[in-house]
Amino acid sequence: MPQATPQATPIQPMVDERYGSAAQIMALAPARLIAILQDPSASVYAKAKACQRLAVVGDKAAAPALAALLADPQLSHYARFGLEPIPDPSVDEALRAALGKVKGSLLVGVIISIARRRDPKALDALAKLLSDPDSEVAKAADYALARIRPAP
Amino acid sequence: MRRQLLSRRRLLKTAVQAGSLILAPQIIPASALGQGGAVPPSDRVTLAGLGLGGRGTRVLQSFLAQPDVQFLAICDVRNERREAIKSMADQKYGNRDCAVYSDQYELWARKDIDAVLIATGDRWHALLSILTARSGKDVYCEKPCSMTIAESRALADTFQRLGRIYQAGTQRRNGPNFARAFELGRSGKLGKLQTLHAEAGPGDRWPPATSHDWLPAEPEPPKQVVDWNRWLGPSPWRPYNSQYIQGRWRGYFDFHGGGILEWGSHTVDLCQWVGDVDSTAPVEYEPQGMGSNTPYSIYCRYANGLRLVMRDKGFLGLGSCHIRWEGDAGWVETADGGKIEVSEGLSAERLEVAPDDARGATTNHVRDFVDCVKSRKQPRSNALAACQAHIACHAAYIAFQLGRKLTFDPATDSFVGDDQANRMRSRAMREPWRI
Repeated sequence: MPQATPQATPIQPMVDERYGSAAQIMALAPARLIAILQDPSASVYAKAKACQRLAVVGDKAAAPALAALLADPQLSHYARFGLEPIPDPSVDEALRAALGKVKGSLLVGVIISIARRRDPKALDALAKLLSDPDSEVAKAADYALARIRPAP
Repeated sequence: MRRQLLSRRRLLKTAVQAGSLILAPQIIPASALGQGGAVPPSDRVTLAGLGLGGRGTRVLQSFLAQPDVQFLAICDVRNERREAIKSMADQKYGNRDCAVYSDQYELWARKDIDAVLIATGDRWHALLSILTARSGKDVYCEKPCSMTIAESRALADTFQRLGRIYQAGTQRRNGPNFARAFELGRSGKLGKLQTLHAEAGPGDRWPPATSHDWLPAEPEPPKQVVDWNRWLGPSPWRPYNSQYIQGRWRGYFDFHGGGILEWGSHTVDLCQWVGDVDSTAPVEYEPQGMGSNTPYSIYCRYANGLRLVMRDKGFLGLGSCHIRWEGDAGWVETADGGKIEVSEGLSAERLEVAPDDARGATTNHVRDFVDCVKSRKQPRSNALAACQAHIACHAAYIAFQLGRKLTFDPATDSFVGDDQANRMRSRAMREPWRI
């Protein structure tokens, strides 16, 4: 993927000590990107870039590593960024499983991703979340149900 | 939704006619009753602003110059911008009435606001436009209007479903020289249109490819000075750096749709207009010139055979935002400088556009929007036209990123037989944002 420096600026962009620049990370093969996600010493920056690249090149092999980050407050959205476009049922299974594992705003995010993928197998779980004490969760569930259910 | 706007005006008219306001003349200025040449409140469009930086301020000046527009409120994540816009509006009206907000939901809750000018960074444009429409208000939004193909479609669908008025900030549709070129193209004087050229980029200022870099972290300012979380909005989180909020967010993938969207959102839009293909998009995209700092072109073809070329070099040097339209009987080329060049056989055509007129595109465009807010007719840069032009630009950028020819189905907004390209049609928004 071609990269370009956005503006003439004297400020040097961040670089991960182990994995290098964003361009270097995003040039890696999917297996290496997955390895970054599983590396406890990898920086948030490196993992974020790996997630974004896996959105384009990842397959079902990437789903478990991405799904493992759904409960990480700093990386949950990046995990969804990577998962949402992957056309494999294992992604839907991972997102449904996360409904019972994450709370608050991260749960809202997972619900939104399920809605975006229009996963009909999530309807029952989403219906239960309509009565969640967290009103943001309940509103997200309502949004997802409206998006997934076929129009009458 | 239309009912709300009409109700506000109807209420005001009824009150004046019934004399209920005239009963208290000591507190009602004559201007409020439409005397002294002022436009009465019942005929004014009430406006608010969301995220008005440099470009937004210039568009607001055009709105403030309209006698039938009343600017009521500004919402911005930056205190400096809130105060600057309030000062501008209060100076215009000679009062201290312009309200300031840092939370857009407070602005949307106001029932006395008819329309909203949106000029944040690109990352917010489609989402804020859609949420503003859902709050019952019309929208004038700066370009590029979307970050993805999916956002573009959601924008058009929302405004069609809700019946709200949308004007994209692609003001060249109301620029006299571009409109004159359009007349030549549509009148048949160029013959049958063959190839439409749109200046995208320019690549030396806005490279087509975006960067995934992060700038180094700096301490976040207090939330009341800059609300960094709200500035990021639906974009992925990254550490704060003051460069971004000083306008240097362009060129970053998370905030910017790519250099093709910069001028392309104007020039591809103009090509779709003259080609009478406002409701579709090209079916083929073939990129050439992929190296950094080299001229690039995206060769596109519509289903009816019409060709579109997005490129950043090779025009006649008439200013920024060139378009060149070639038919089998002649060609026309123009740009922001206002001059119109044509093929030899067309040189007798009326082509002169006064420089002041050429610079009046934004004011004309704002006027078009205000008129349509009142008439409920579609403005020139309506949501569907903007949606389709942006889809063409996004599809071209995806072809550029992948470095290969792509086939696109405008009926389904999907690429044919290319899984990677299809994945790039949307991006997951950061919670809690969704469309």
